[in-house]
Amino acid sequence: MSRTIKILTMIIALISLPAMAQDYVIHVNGIVCEFCSIGVRKKVSKLPFIDRTKYDDGVEVDIENQMVTIAVKSDAVLDKKALFAAIEAAGYNPVKIYELAPDGKKIAYQP
Amino acid sequence: MRSRTVALLLYVSNAALAHQPVMDMAPRWSDGYGIQTRVEYFDSDTTVWLEGVYTWDRSVRATFKLPNKDGTLGDLILGLPLKKYYNDGPSTSNWSLTPSVRLPTGNQGKWKAGLSVSYSAESPTFYQLYDLYTWGDRAGFDLNAGFAFPGKGSGTFALWDVSALTSDDGDRVQTGPVFVYFKKNIMFRAEYKALIYEHDSDWSGSYFSLGIGVVY
Repeated sequence: MSRTIKILTMIIALISLPAMAQDYVIHVNGIVCEFCSIGVRKKVSKLPFIDRTKYDDGVEVDIENQMVTIAVKSDAVLDKKALFAAIEAAGYNPVKIYELAPDGKKIAYQP
Repeated sequence: MRSRTVALLLYVSNAALAHQPVMDMAPRWSDGYGIQTRVEYFDSDTTVWLEGVYTWDRSVRATFKLPNKDGTLGDLILGLPLKKYYNDGPSTSNWSLTPSVRLPTGNQGKWKAGLSVSYSAESPTFYQLYDLYTWGDRAGFDLNAGFAFPGKGSGTFALWDVSALTSDDGDRVQTGPVFVYFKKNIMFRAEYKALIYEHDSDWSGSYFSLGIGVVY
């Protein structure tokens, strides 16, 4: 009986776990100044699939490596075309997008 | 008195450049806008500038600059910076062509047209800007170059400025440091320039400017 309760408790706990939000990293040519890149955060954070609770409004800019990390909502799907259009509207040129694995490795994005 | 007027005009001309921080570095995003105010101390005179910019997309901006000296509004200056950007890995650069017009909104105001051609390039640690301009009977060259010290959500620029100007009223060369600090979308700028060369002008003294701007 106690074993059944334990298994049921584990199943309920697993079901109750929130789905993990997925992070992506975009290589962006020319993004070398945080002040100039305010527009990236402004444009990208407005996209409906961005999880604004993470990073700074869902966006983190790494100017030393010209990388932009974004958090995507767990119940949403990344729209690569809209994402690249937003970065271009911010004045930059996106080059490539990667999925960010839990161990921090970058994996080429396959839509 | 005439020399002071001439010197002030020279400064008004120089300040008409569109290379102040809010005006050049940002906003480079579409539908971006910014406003800044600068206080210039020059030869015991104080001029307060109100300046603004709107960016349609990264290639087209519109700027305004309005001086206020001793409580009196001066001539409004409108500019249309047209930019061509090159984003190349760890650097970004742009060529800019900026036609400007000065409207006679102040006392004894007068129409004037100007044109500047500039190039700026930036990496995470280095910034440089070169600007060649003409404004009525005046022509000049301006250089800003130096180091950037990026932080998290903030940053500092330590630059050196060289400004040269030739006109019917005299020639001059000034130089000095420029300090820029920004946090989030707010930028602070301090600039000092000493006169190191003067010809055919009574202009004297150094120049000091403090500015703060915000972009959205």
